[in-house]
Parts: sequence; C-alpha cells; structure tokens
Amino acid sequence: MEVLQLLISGISLGCVYGLIALGFVLIYKATEMVNFAQGDIMMLGAFIAYTYMNVLGIPFLWGVPATIATMAVFGVLIERIALRRMIGEPPFAVLMITIGLGFIFRAAAGAIWGNEPKSIASPLTGGVLRVGELTVGYENIAVIAGTAILCAALYAFFRFTRLGIAMQATSQNQLAAFYVGIPVKRIFSIVWALSAAIAAVAGILVAPVSLIDPTIGFIGIKAFAAAIVGGFGSLPGAIVGGLIVGIAEQFAGLYGPAGSADVSAYVLLLLMLFVRPEGIFATIQRKKV
Amino acid sequence: MNEAIFSAQHLNLSFGGVHAVRDVSFEVERGEVFSIIGPNGAGKTTVLNLISRLYDVEGHGRMRFDGSDITEISISEVARRRIARTFQNTELFEHETVLKNLLIGRHVHRRTGLLSELFFTRSVARQELAFRRAAEDVIDLLDLQSYRDQVIANLPYGVRKMVEVARALCIEPKLLLLDEPSSGLNPEETEDVEFWIEDINEQFGATIIMVEHDMNLVSRTSSRVMAMADGAVIAIGESADIQNHPDVQRAYLGD
Amino acid sequence: MRFIFKTGYRQDIDIFKHDGQRFWYGLLVIAALVAPLFLDTFYLGELALVGIYAIAGIGLMLLVGYTGLVSLGHAAFLAIGGYAHAILMTSGLPFPISLILASALCAFIGAIVGLPAMRMTGIYLAIATLAFAFIVEHTIAHLEPLTGGFRGMPVPRPTLLGFDMGATIPFYYICLLLLTTSVVGALNLLRGPTGRAMISIRDSEISAQSIGINLARTKSVAFAISAGFTGLAGGLFAHNLGYLSPDAFTILTSIQLLLMVVVGGLGSLHGVIFGAIFIVLLPQGLAILRDWLPPSVGQLPGLEPGLFGLILVLFLIYEPLGIYGRWRKIRDFFETFPLYRKATHKRQRSYLRTERVR
Repeated sequence: MEVLQLLISGISLGCVYGLIALGFVLIYKATEMVNFAQGDIMMLGAFIAYTYMNVLGIPFLWGVPATIATMAVFGVLIERIALRRMIGEPPFAVLMITIGLGFIFRAAAGAIWGNEPKSIASPLTGGVLRVGELTVGYENIAVIAGTAILCAALYAFFRFTRLGIAMQATSQNQLAAFYVGIPVKRIFSIVWALSAAIAAVAGILVAPVSLIDPTIGFIGIKAFAAAIVGGFGSLPGAIVGGLIVGIAEQFAGLYGPAGSADVSAYVLLLLMLFVRPEGIFATIQRKKV
Repeated sequence: MNEAIFSAQHLNLSFGGVHAVRDVSFEVERGEVFSIIGPNGAGKTTVLNLISRLYDVEGHGRMRFDGSDITEISISEVARRRIARTFQNTELFEHETVLKNLLIGRHVHRRTGLLSELFFTRSVARQELAFRRAAEDVIDLLDLQSYRDQVIANLPYGVRKMVEVARALCIEPKLLLLDEPSSGLNPEETEDVEFWIEDINEQFGATIIMVEHDMNLVSRTSSRVMAMADGAVIAIGESADIQNHPDVQRAYLGD
Repeated sequence: MRFIFKTGYRQDIDIFKHDGQRFWYGLLVIAALVAPLFLDTFYLGELALVGIYAIAGIGLMLLVGYTGLVSLGHAAFLAIGGYAHAILMTSGLPFPISLILASALCAFIGAIVGLPAMRMTGIYLAIATLAFAFIVEHTIAHLEPLTGGFRGMPVPRPTLLGFDMGATIPFYYICLLLLTTSVVGALNLLRGPTGRAMISIRDSEISAQSIGINLARTKSVAFAISAGFTGLAGGLFAHNLGYLSPDAFTILTSIQLLLMVVVGGLGSLHGVIFGAIFIVLLPQGLAILRDWLPPSVGQLPGLEPGLFGLILVLFLIYEPLGIYGRWRKIRDFFETFPLYRKATHKRQRSYLRTERVR
C-alpha cells in the first residue's frame, strides 16, 4: 500500500515536472531555444494567481483563466522585448539570456510579493479521496487530471490545426518557413504565449499543494531532467520524463539515504545521458551531409 | 594494370524504408581518377559517406584500403589512413581564416603532445613552421594566396569549394573523395576544377574517387566511370563506353 | 587600420603581432609589478581576487568560448580545487605541491566528466554539467569527516619556504604570477594544434572528425584543461576566503563565472580579464547604488542576482561581443578615424536550420 501511495504522490509531483518540461520542449521544438526561465515563469504564474484569488478576492473559477491569460500576454511580452532580437544568434547566447531573465523574475517577485511563503486557497484544498487504504488529496487528482486534459488538447492542436503544423515547420527550417509565407515572428510569439500559459497552469496546480515563494522556480531544473529523460524534442516524452523523475524522487526520499530525494533527479539525468542521451522518445539523429 | 588501392564489396545501406545503396561492389586502381555518376538519389554521396565512415555498412559488406580492412574504423581514423574528402555543402570552419582552416587540416601530421604545447617548446614551434610551409604549398597549387587571411564566412561559394579541397589536401591523402566538385560553379570555374584534378592526381599522386554530374568534366578527367541508379551499380567501365551504355541512358532519360 | 608587414612565418606563430603590442603589454606587466607601491591593501586584495577569477575564467573561456562546450556548473571545479587544496595543506603538504595536486585532481575529474561529452550536444552537455555541479555540492555538504559538511572548514595560510604568504602583498604577487603563467599557457595552447582542434570542434564536428580529430579525446582534453585552470583558481580562492563552506560554490557562482565570460567578451582572453574586473567591481558598484536607492528597493536580498540577470540580458542584446568587443570598436574608431564604419563589426546572422532529423 505504501508503494501505491508513493506512486500516486510521485505521479502527482511528476505531472508538475512534466508540465514545466512540456513548456521547455514546446519552445525548443518551435525555436530551438532553451528557456531556462520556464520554472520562474511558473513561479510568476503562481504569484499572479495568488494576487487574483487571495488579494483581489476573485473566485477560483474566474481566477484560473485570468491567470492563464495574463501569463500568456506576459510570454508574448518577454518574446517581444528580449527574445525577438536573439533570432539568428547562437544558441548559447539564448540560453544565457533566459538564465538572466530567470534571475530578473526572481528578484522582481521578491520585490513585489516579498520572500515569505504564501499559499493559495483553492476549492479543492483539504479534501481527500479514500479508496480502500489509499488516501489521495483532491489537489493531487486535480494535478493529474489537469495535466492529462492539457496534453490531449496540445496533441490535437499540433496534429490537426494549421497553426500547429506551421509551428513544426518553423522549428525545422526558419528561412524556408519565411519563404513559404509562415509569419515566423508571430509564431514565436504564440509559442511563448502558449508556453507561459502552460507554466501558469503548472503554477496554479502546484500552488495549493505546496507553499509559494520566489525560489520555487528552481523546480525548473528538475523539470529539465524530466525533459531530457523523456527526450528533449518530444512532447509526450516531457510528460513521461516528468512522471519518471517524480516517482523516482518520492521513492528515493523514503528508501534512499538521507537527502537523496534532492539529488535523485540529477543522478537520473546523468544516468540517462550516459546510457541513452536522446532520451526515451528520441528525436535527434545525425546531421545529413 | 595497377593494383587496387581501394575495393568495396557488397555495400548495403537503408534509411528506414529507403534502400539507398544496394549490393554495390567496385575496385579503384592506384593513381586513377574514378568517377561515380548517376541521377539524383542514386546513392552516390551515400557511397562516399560509407567510405569515409559517416555511415556504417549493413550486412556483410566490406571495404579494403591500401591493404587493410577499413569497414569498421572510426571517422577520425579515416583521415589518419590518408583518406580525405570534401562535402557537397561545404563544411568549413566558418569563423576562421582560410589559413587556419588549412592548418587544422594538417592535424594528422601532429607529433607533439599536450604538455609540450602548453609550453610551446622548440619542437612545437618547428612543427608549426613545417605545417605552415605545407599549407603554403597547397595554397600555391590552388591559387588561394589572396584569400589567405580572410574569414570563411565572407568568401564566395567558388572559393569555399577550393578551400574545402585545399584543406583535404593538407592531409596529404592517398585517396581523395570529391563530392560534386563542380556543382554551383560557372564554366570557367569548372575548367579550373579540371586542371586542379589533374594536378592533384599527378603532383600529389593521389587516387581520386569523384561523384559528379558534369559529363564533360567526367570524360576529360576520369580513367574509369561507375554508373549508379536507385542505389545499385548499372555499369563500370571507360567513360566513353559508359556514356553510350543503353542501361545508363535509360536511367538518366527514362524509357 | 594598422598594417602589419610580414616578412616571415615566425611572425604568425608569435604571441605578439608587432612591437607596439610588446610595448604596451610590457608596460602593463611593470604596472602590475609596482602596484603595491601605490595602491592601498584593499585595492591590492581586490586585484588579487580579479586575478583569481581571471584564472577560473581562462579555464571556462577555453571550454565555452573556444571549444564551444557550455558548462553551467563550473563552480564545481572551483569547489573541488578549493577543498582538495585545503584538505591537502591541512594534512601537511607544502603550499605549491598541494596547489598543483589539487589542480591536477580537477583536471583528472574534468577529463572523466568530458568523456561522456562525446555523446552529448550543446544543451544536453550544459544540463549535465549543471547536474554534476549539484551532485558535487551535495557530496561536499554530506562528506562531513573530510570537508566539515555544512559547518565548513578553515583554510591554512599559504607558506613558501617558511615565509607566510598570506598577507595581502605576497598573496597579490602569487596571484599575479599564476595569472601570468596561466595566460601564457593558454595562449600557447591556442596557437598550437590542440587549440586549433578545440576551435574546429566548435565550428563543425563532422568536419573536425573528417580531418582526423578524435572528438572524444579532444573534448575530454578540453574539459581537463578547463577544470585544471579552474581548480587552480579554486585553491587560491580558498585562501582568499579563509574559510570554506558549500554555499560559497552554488549555481549562482557558476552563473557568475559565465557572466564574466560572456560580459567580458566570448572568444578572447582579453575578454576574460575584462570580465573578471567587471564581476569584482560589481558588488562595489552595487554597494554604492544601494545607498542611492530608496531602502525598499536597496535592501532586497535578491537584488544582486537580479542585477546580474539584467546586465547579462542587456549585454547579450546590445553588446554581444562583450566589453572587449566594445573596446575593439572604440579602438578601431580612433585608429581608422574618420573612416570608421559600423559595418566592420556587424555580426553575421545564422538562421535556424535544425540539426534534428526525425
């Protein structure tokens, strides 16, 4: 039973990792940029949700879409102000700029909301579901369900809509996409908006489960591990990777030596890079010469 | 009849559903210029990629060069065995000068170790000057003097192709693989290509395997030609015979 | 534009391109040597710190700027170097031997870390180094008997032939000496085959292999050299701190090192020196700024990293060539006056052409 309990909390944690990883992979697939600030965007999403729901008193049902919309706009702003000028620059520069942005977000959050941990009250707080000997918090169920719905929506988006296909084209050859009339810059903005929105969802889902403060963005680094385990160019991989990391972390926390829950993600990451660097769902192959 | 410096037997390679190279076997004699022709998608570049070990041979195919089996050596070992190649889309070191690119090409001749390089000992200095002299010889051969200190990214396409060849020559290859040397060049530049192929073949004594579309260039430089289509060999022989070969014509022009 | 008239191949392999360079650098060395006569101990201490960061920066620059391998966790080597040196000195080894051994240990570990680098490209490697850094930090914190864990450990003072070198002036000279040696060593590497092999990996891996460069070996060597330099800096850093604890070597430290390399100017050793000066000046500038700003903003704990981030972003957008790049532009402006053209330094854009082939 203990195993099953661990499994469920691992899956729930893994979903959060997976959602953030999804945001990474989305941006990477579309622009081949790596966004180190994804975790911090999630953190901002959580704080915006806090502001809407706890400070301004907006009911939960309205607060959620409001947060998502705000963060989507924020994503577009980041793209316009900082990332757009990085089109054509080497990937390392882009990586560094997102690292820099992450620092700025953290400092700004600390300045605006302060550094003491806060919590968001959601209608699901405190409720638990009991199935036999299992106890599952409603919030955990919400995380899992929310992730599943989001994934299905994204899958449909990429598979069936013109915009989704245009995004894939842009990710493979920017110049060619320009030439066939795809509005590459607008696609970038949409990708960042989408990514920020997903991060916001992750933030909303995680906020009731744990307290929020400006440093929760560091979860993003573990989400990186998740993305790599799953395979960096693969959307389903991001979720699967997240689940694996989440479950591993919970088990390491209980059965491993002291403190190993923290490093478990990184050890898993290095293991994966040694054994199968392309990840579970590999998308990288040899450059054709 | 010269002995074969290179032989390939039963080369096979598939990419997913595409059987790019089917049971290709051929031999190349020491000192000859051997051309591979065929319509697009025939598998010509893939054969070159197999020889230079960018791809692994599937099944039981084998390749021998200069007396030893090279089917499973590593990519960097290829250059050490003195097989050099150029690429269809030039793969140069874009941020460096032409001279730097050529000096990098001398890598297989390096005799100094890390520690002596850290202190830049006299033997390192001597090696550097020797490398420079060798690079200058190649620059002379291909008339690249005026481009010596220019960064690759600023050079026109025709010059880049020359630098690719120059860099390959710095290895002092026994076998040179050229991938469409005349593609993208105007008729004047193509004539130059003909001249330096002859020069390389005679002065450097290098055997050349060349993938090419320009039939004129092929007939004027090559001793033997291999025609491919759909991954398989259609015919191997003297260039005139091949050009008049019914199967070859069918492959190019259709039925 | 200065025209250098070349009369022999020797000139091209020399470190100095012309006598003017010899003159100015000579002057710089003399200035550095007599600095203690004019400068206050506080400034000498800061200069020593610049030297230490610069040595670490040389290590990082060789890896990132020249070989093109991004390391987000280089503070790990700083930590390993620092702790190894402190532990070896505590167990009785003399200062120079301990320093060299600590540096060699780092080089060895760097080589091992570099081995799997063969199979990883760009971003994967960056994240692997990040993971490595976390694991090292974690290990140091939990190896209590050896490292003192979270409580930390004191660092013995450096002594040479019985003389205490820990005072500001002798320590400054040690740092200066080691910095000069490191710079010359790096320059030597860069003008030889190893340096060229590293550059070729940055520009085109497939080409490099086709030329006969062994990717795995060269990447491993690049990591080893980089780690060695950084480990050396780590040992000196330990003396500078006086007391080692795991939170002196966090991810923020790694990012600071990268900041130094990026802001200074990627791809040149000058950039390292400029970058080192920059990150040592930054906290001072911040302190001054703090007095200026309203207390609500000035007293924020997250202000320093936030400012780092801002500077990083601004430089990457507006001055990607870094401080050294700006210096070159200004110098060229005066050298070619009034014929200076902005387009001389214009960056070539390279549009994305994915290397992922699915």
